[in-house]
Amino acid sequence: MEDRDPSTAVSSPAFSMENLTLDDPLSPSTRFSSPAELAPDLPSLLDLAARGQWRSVIDKVARARTTSLLSKPHEHLIYLAFNALALHKLRRFTDASVEIDSLSPADDRPDDPFHHPRFQYDSYPETYPTLRGSMLPFSVRLLYADLPQRIGNRPESLDRLYSLLSFARSRSGDAWPRRAAFVLGALACNHFIHREFDVTLSLIRELLASNPSDPVLLSRLGYVQLQIGDVEGAKESFALVEGMKLSGTEFENLVGRNRALGFIVAKDYVAAVREYEVCIERDPSDVVAVNNKALCLMYSRDLSDSIKLLEGTLERVPTAALNETLVVNLCSMYELAYVQHGDIKKGLSNWIARVAPDDFDSSCTRT
Amino acid sequence: MSALHTGGSPSSHSLAFRVMRLCRPSFQAEDAVLRLDPFDLLAGEDLFSNPLVSPIVIDQAIRRQPSSTSDEGGGDDFSFRSRFQLQNPSDAMALSGFLILPQSFGAIYLGETFCSYISINNSSNFEARDVIIKAEIQTEKQRILLLDTSKSPVESIRSGGRYDFIVEHDVKELGPHTLVCTALYNDGDGERKYLPQFFKFVVANPLSVRTKVRTVKETTFLEACIENHTKSNLFMDQVEFEPAEYWRASILKVDESISDSNAQTNKIFRSPLLIRAGGGIFNYLYQLTQTSQESGQVKVGGSNILGKLQITWRTNLGEPGRLQTQQIIGTPLLPKDIDLQVVDVPSAIILERPFLVCLKLTNQSEKTAGPFEVTVSQGSSSLPKLVVVNGIQKLALQPLEAYSSTEFNLVRGLHFIAFPLLI
Repeated sequence: MEDRDPSTAVSSPAFSMENLTLDDPLSPSTRFSSPAELAPDLPSLLDLAARGQWRSVIDKVARARTTSLLSKPHEHLIYLAFNALALHKLRRFTDASVEIDSLSPADDRPDDPFHHPRFQYDSYPETYPTLRGSMLPFSVRLLYADLPQRIGNRPESLDRLYSLLSFARSRSGDAWPRRAAFVLGALACNHFIHREFDVTLSLIRELLASNPSDPVLLSRLGYVQLQIGDVEGAKESFALVEGMKLSGTEFENLVGRNRALGFIVAKDYVAAVREYEVCIERDPSDVVAVNNKALCLMYSRDLSDSIKLLEGTLERVPTAALNETLVVNLCSMYELAYVQHGDIKKGLSNWIARVAPDDFDSSCTRT
Repeated sequence: MSALHTGGSPSSHSLAFRVMRLCRPSFQAEDAVLRLDPFDLLAGEDLFSNPLVSPIVIDQAIRRQPSSTSDEGGGDDFSFRSRFQLQNPSDAMALSGFLILPQSFGAIYLGETFCSYISINNSSNFEARDVIIKAEIQTEKQRILLLDTSKSPVESIRSGGRYDFIVEHDVKELGPHTLVCTALYNDGDGERKYLPQFFKFVVANPLSVRTKVRTVKETTFLEACIENHTKSNLFMDQVEFEPAEYWRASILKVDESISDSNAQTNKIFRSPLLIRAGGGIFNYLYQLTQTSQESGQVKVGGSNILGKLQITWRTNLGEPGRLQTQQIIGTPLLPKDIDLQVVDVPSAIILERPFLVCLKLTNQSEKTAGPFEVTVSQGSSSLPKLVVVNGIQKLALQPLEAYSSTEFNLVRGLHFIAFPLLI
């Protein structure tokens, strides 16, 4: 250690404790200087999540809790967030709500239901000597807002989501505009599903106000406009996207798929199929292009080829193609193509059970 | 979705019809697939507001995963990571562009096009030969043939095979409709078999239009109120008034540039006009004027045909529906018996110099009327007298025959001017 000028040496306890942690791995304090400090066994948790093995996530959380793997307050919270997310993924929505409720959110305090010192780093100065602010993962707030509608209470979810939006907008810091935009997106999705298109559009307007050049967002505006029937509006949105002239397969496929939608509107299914084929050639795992091409084949009276395309893609790139919408479409095609469609759908269902992630909604096969 | 009701006994047949209404597909929002930003899952929400903590720890945590590949297309990434991790900030909208087939028959409305995929399947072990297929729509009033292969029958549908076709029909009647599909074929035993199958649906009225007509001097105003009876918010793509002969129409709209906030938001994109589901209304206002100078083409006391309203609405992926109202009739114009018009007034009047006003008196009744007395009203006595009569105050005119007119002059002088007034 270099000699210090006594007049400039900092002698506060925090400074000396920092020096301690650099050298002493058994120190109780955390500075989050490495991923290991985010949570114990995090790579394993993330790996399970990425493989869609949510049942294993739940097992792992249960084991961690019983074996006292979790010692610091933030570790409990990260594991709780993973657990609640896993339960949500497995559509065990009541259980997920119970998990969130174990934090005792103040339901009657909509502006910030998790306003409590126990979620603040400052409340644990020995563990987090240098940190301030909330240690609650934002995903907990999202799940808290999302869950009521999953158990039949949409108005409560809407209230919570709009309150969460205000909350995110009232906070300062780099992450909060991104979180506010997330909530705006979730609300737009909610209103879209309930066909409240005027609200959907005004939410998208707000998103565009702070993000006017996001080609994916503009394309999504186009999809909403097309769903409404505003063909001219969608044309303009897609033209804006195409005009950005970005590079890369993702962008080129986005533009190609948007162009194909224009052909579908004009009922020129042959041209739409061509566009999708160019996309698939560029990126064989562009499952949106595959799915939509199959629909175009069907609308061109070619039910057999549409089925072959979807079956072939599921076989070729299962992890990309295993998507509930694609499977619903394939099952609708089976129901049309076969008088006795029970067997073939059962076959598909069995294959899905072997290959699909835990969160795949197998009710989509309607077997 | 598929077949609604089937008639006939398909079990004794080699062939069977499968039917699916093919309205346009819809965009699917995958809202059950919750995707999150790792920052919001792996760390406290305020962790990175602390200056000593670097967000790089999150990137490191993600990259540690064995299946983690950053910028490659999904092909090499044999994981379901995209089902829980956000890739684009707006992924919360859950709209990836996936289209989904119609999952139910849905409602069908007057003015729409009924489109259906019809597949005739051979689920037997034997070939079906010389298949004559017919599809027609039957309503209370008529039968409309959509398909008929009598002239060129399908030679063969092999065992396990299929013959598909798509039919379209513009729906122009309300009430119950039946799609009748029939197949006449030779089965495996060489027997000629007849298979009829029936699929029923009901056509409802999507809109109603109420009109109000008001006439103010020479302008007729038409207010059309469109009410939406469907179950979804309806996008009005085009609503146009087609005036009848001798009429000209222009739409009166709210000047949207007046409202500042409207101007701002409409720069991003225009709001489409949506009429709310189940009883929402929207009013259109048209100004109509007659193109001919004479009012003679209007029959006295008779009807007054203004024109028709053409409505085009659109639903998912631009699926159009079209309706036209019947002829809209204005209030019959009751002509006045006696009409006094100013024919000529000098465009510039010089103070204290007499000026000539030319008037025309028309007797529009069937009988001789008169004699007449024309006076200049001086208005209320409290106002200063602005126009001084110079010359005859009262003019007596001879009786007028039916439908005839006379012109006469009055000489006036302007005494002093405060505000010009028309007599």
